[in-house]
This record gives sequence, C-alpha cells and structure tokens, in this order.
Amino acid sequence: MERGVTPTWVTSAGVVVVAGKGGVGSSTVAAALSLIAARQGANVLLIAVDGRPGLGPLLGGEPIGPEERTLRSFGRSGRIRGRTIPPEQAFSDYLALKGIGGVLRKAASAASLDVIAAATPGLEHLLVLGKIKELQREKSADLIIVDAPPAGLAAPFLRSASALQAVVASGPIRTQADEVAEMLADAKRCQGLLVTIPEETPVNEVVELAYDIEEKLGLSLGPLVVNACWPYLAGLEMSPTAAARAQGVTLSRAAKAALDVSARFGRARMEGQQRQLARLDELLPLARIELPRVPTARFGPAELDILAAALAVEPRAAS
Amino acid sequence: MSAKRSTTPSPAPAASDASAHPSIAQVLANTSLLVTCGPGGVGKTTTAAALAIAAARMGRRVVVVTVDPARRLADALGLDLAAHSFEPHEVQHATEGNGSLWALMLDAETTFDRMITDRASDPARAAAVLANPVYRSIAGSLGGAQEYMAIERLHQLHTSGLYDLVVIDTPPSRHAIDLLEAPDRLMSFLGHPIYRLLTMPTRSVAKVTNAGSSAFLWMVRKLAGPKIVEDTIEFFRSLAGMEEGLRTRAGEVSVILRSEQTSFMLVSSPRAEAIAESTHLVNALRDGGFHLGGVIVNLVHPLPPPAEAFFDLAPGPLADHVAYHADLFALATSERQEMAELMALAEGAAEAELPLLEGDVHDVAGLVALAARLISD
Repeated sequence: MERGVTPTWVTSAGVVVVAGKGGVGSSTVAAALSLIAARQGANVLLIAVDGRPGLGPLLGGEPIGPEERTLRSFGRSGRIRGRTIPPEQAFSDYLALKGIGGVLRKAASAASLDVIAAATPGLEHLLVLGKIKELQREKSADLIIVDAPPAGLAAPFLRSASALQAVVASGPIRTQADEVAEMLADAKRCQGLLVTIPEETPVNEVVELAYDIEEKLGLSLGPLVVNACWPYLAGLEMSPTAAARAQGVTLSRAAKAALDVSARFGRARMEGQQRQLARLDELLPLARIELPRVPTARFGPAELDILAAALAVEPRAAS
Repeated sequence: MSAKRSTTPSPAPAASDASAHPSIAQVLANTSLLVTCGPGGVGKTTTAAALAIAAARMGRRVVVVTVDPARRLADALGLDLAAHSFEPHEVQHATEGNGSLWALMLDAETTFDRMITDRASDPARAAAVLANPVYRSIAGSLGGAQEYMAIERLHQLHTSGLYDLVVIDTPPSRHAIDLLEAPDRLMSFLGHPIYRLLTMPTRSVAKVTNAGSSAFLWMVRKLAGPKIVEDTIEFFRSLAGMEEGLRTRAGEVSVILRSEQTSFMLVSSPRAEAIAESTHLVNALRDGGFHLGGVIVNLVHPLPPPAEAFFDLAPGPLADHVAYHADLFALATSERQEMAELMALAEGAAEAELPLLEGDVHDVAGLVALAARLISD
C-alpha cells in the first residue's frame, strides 16, 4: 500500500464536510478520508450525522453511536474516533454550555425538542452543526470529518444556519447560527468535499449542490470526488474478435460469446462515463479526483483500502 | 399475508401454481393504491413512473404522484417543476388503448397552503396564517408535515373516483417508513400540552406572552428572541380547530394503507447497503401490517456468460477485454448474491429486476420500455 505524505487538500481545514446524494458512496469516501489522515498520524474524529450503520465496522471497529469511541489506531498518534450527534444530545449540551439551567432546563425536557424544533425550523440541523463547531473550537481532533446526511438532506443541513438567520433576529440561537455560518465560510476552519458518480442525474445534482453551497454559504470546496469510475480500456474500442486477432489468439465460440456481452456493455458504459466527465469539465470548475469502481456489491475493509489509495493523491486541476 | 389476496378476482392471468409469486402485472391489476418505497439513489421515482405507465397500458386510469423528481424525469412526464400545480395533468402518448396516465408533483407547501385555506374558519384567518413568517418557514419542514401532506393528497386522489390506481412515490427513507408514521407524529405534536396551551381560546396573545406563564415560551424567547414568540403563538392559534379534521383524516388513511386494495412496492439497488436498508423496510412493513406487493431491484449490471481463463496473455486489446469481462462478471455475480437475500425475504411478493441503463430516462418512450420489462414476465 502506498503510504506517501497526506495530500495537502486533506488537512487544509480543521473540518471536512463530505456530502453527496444517496447511493454515490459519500459515507465510504468519508471513511476512506479518515483512513488516509489517521495512517499519517492524525487524530481523526469521524462524525456520522445520520448514524449510518456499517461505517464503524467498515473501519474495523464497533458500530458508531452517540458515545465517542476509537474505531482504529495507527502507530503512536494516528487514530480514528467515531460518533454520531443526536439532536437531543446536542440540545442539552447547548443548554449546559449556555449556562441555561433550572426552570428552563426542566421546561426543555417537558417540551421535548420536537415541539421547540417545530417552532424554530432547521434547529435540529443547527444544533448538530453547532456541536461540530464547538468540537472544532476545542481542537478536539486534528481533523474532524463529517459524513453529512444523504439524499436531499445535505443542502438543508448545511443551509440550516443561514435559514435560521433569516427567521431568528436575536438571542442565543441567532448567535449560534452566526457562529456556525462563520465557521462554514472560513476556508481555514472548514471545507466541503462533494461526491458524485459519472451518471447523468448525480452529475446534475452535484453541480447544483456545489453552486448552492459555495455561493450561498461561502463554504470553500475541496476537490470533487467522482466515485465508481470504470478504468479506461482502449482495447474495448475494438471487437473481441479483432482484439484477439491483433494479439494472435483464436477465441473459442464460448469465449467470444462471453466477451461480446461484456464488451457491448463496457463500451456503452465507458462512452457514457466520458460524456459525464466532459460535462463536469464544462459545468464545474473544481479540481477532481476519480475513484475506481470496485467490482463487488459488498463493500468491505479491503475495498476501502483500494479507495483510500486512490483518494490519497493531489487532484487533477480543473480544466 | 398474500394468501388472502389470491382470492381477489383478477383480470390478469392467474398464477398456475398457488405457491408461485404473483407477477408485477397481477399486482398492478389488483391494486388501487400502490406505494413505492426504498432507499435513496435507487431510481425509485423513475420506477414508480414506469409502474404507472405499465398499469395505464393495461387499460387502467392511473395517476402517479411524485415527490422530488429529477429534472429529466419531470420532463418525461411533462411536469413543470416551477408550476406548483395542485391538479394532475394528463401525460401524452403514454397509452394506446383505453387506459390513461396522469401525473402530479407533490409540493408539500402548496398542499399545506391549500389545507389551511380549506380548513380555516374564514378567509381572513387563512390569509393571516399564510403570511405568518413562522408558517412560511415551516410549511415544508414541520415534523412529518411533508409526509403528512403526501397522505392528505393521496387520500383525495384515491377517493375522487377519477382513477383506478394511484401510484405514490415516497421520499427516500432509511430508518423506517416515515410516510406511514407521519400522521402519528403530527398528531402527537398537535396533542402536545404546549400546543394545547398555545391554542387555548380564552387567552389573548398578549396575556400569554406578558404573563410568561408558559416555560416553553419563556425558553423560545430566551433562545430565539421575542419576535419569534409572537409569530409562533399566532401560528399555533391559527391552526386551532383544524386538529380534529387532521386526526380524522389520519385515521382514514391509516385504514386505507392497510387495506386489501393497497400494495407496497419496494425498490432497491443490488448494492449491499441498499439491500440492508431494504431488508429493514420489508420487516417494518410486515410489522406495521402493510402488504408488500412486490420487490423491484433496479440498476442491475448484466451478467455475461463465464469466460475461460487466458494464460500468459500479454497486455493488449484482448487483455483489456478479458480484464473488463472479469470485473463485470465479479460485480454482476456479487450483485446477484445480494439480491437473493432480499428476494428470499420477500416471500409471496412479485419480483422484478431492471438493468442499469445507459442514460437517464428522459422521455415517455423510455418509460414505456421500462414498463414493458416490468410486466414481461
């Protein structure tokens, strides 16, 4: 395994928020990123906002829960700690932090977060981001990696602070929203890492997400990670029969039938992938890292190593 | 769970053997409400549209309700994402026979606005709610509101008598079936003592805020400032009186969703994480007393026939072919292993698999082709 230096983009900010739509593998990219940094001796805190099951075992540890635990250690200082941040816990931590106690704390437990959150939309997301901001401020890790909620939730999650700024004019919630917005816009403290796959809808959605969060939140973006790319194989441009002739091999009828099926699919796939990468070139001026498609439906620690190796590079500059 | 269903008369060909799975076509013929569910990123919305087209081509009058379609799919269905329309519109060129296909994009905010307008005691009160800043920011995000609104609209379409089949696509869900729990969540919110306090008709807004008798308001004020307290109280008060109607509706929908005429269609991809989430959903459906009509695995890679080993093959074009074949064979084989686990769990449900397509479906012809695959076997 390649154990070079950590690429500069990995450690350029204290917090890296990894986001992408459902099914593109953003959680596995967050795990791979943790692995890269920890192998180089960094103390990494991996926060699974949505408590994605399986992320802990993928890294060789216990499932990730609200209690922080060490998932894996490397050498003297390198380790990956993992936790989730349930909104209720972030809420009580926040009240404690603000020195809000007594009657009010009692009211908080009676009212339940649900009701309060209904009156203050986006509050749950903000509380979680606020907790992350506190963890960053306390320097509780060399690198905090946040696995953002998937599907359509990444944008509302990141936008919660600015949404609340619009509704709440004063008070501690406003302060919290301001501080979170400030962290998100500070390239030294926080950067976003967007993940997509080379297919039409995921490409459209990542372009939208990128402009949305960079323009509206000022969140600086690291390289775009394009996951699940098939390798480019020039030989597929030829038919299997012509390819065999070129190499002086005679194909059996069965081999020809098998290779014809895979070649037809592979050629179409490769062309589609080239088209989507070209669209990204055109639509999104971000440096890019392409990760290989690992040929299995069940992603385990061995596959994670492959992704980590491919991710630990300086990105290809935007064209 | 499916045994009681086999007695339902069916216009589609009956299964030859009682233990055999029903076909997707049979499920479409025997259902009047079809709910698609599944993890995110598996092409659920496209599959819902293809199922609706398939049923329309079987001669049924079908409406498909989607939540958040990708742009190309919206184009294919002729949906205008910016229009916020409330009524379904007819999709052209979807059928050739007697059936028809209608499509509607569900907009939680529009539906919520409509409900406020319909249920408010007078137009002035409705206008006050609609203009309320708290209402505006939570109309789309109140705990369970979006899902609840999906249910509200579904009930209207289902009972309108205009359609033989309503197909509804649910938002992606990992944890459980949020859509089904939404009425309960909204009810528990509306039944909360604090909500009751806020909506008590005898107190004036000023009195509540000035007295500071509610610790809740005190806290909201302390945390978020006084302006939001006024807006919040006004919003809660304006909802007063609508609660009973909401509760009745939630109860009715709960009965419909568990009835014989309703089927759930699980859509998954063959990747292990999606299969794990789907397994969880199958169990949650069973536990909740819902009927699983079918399982569709989408985005499946083709399995090429096995190829013989080539020894000592030098790098070159044939080596590229052999390497690619090996990768595709390994991936497709492993996908089939994952799928088998899910299918084994979905006993008695229809099964179908859809291939990973080259590009997105972007027109009706593409949906028709998918529909044909769904009901071909």
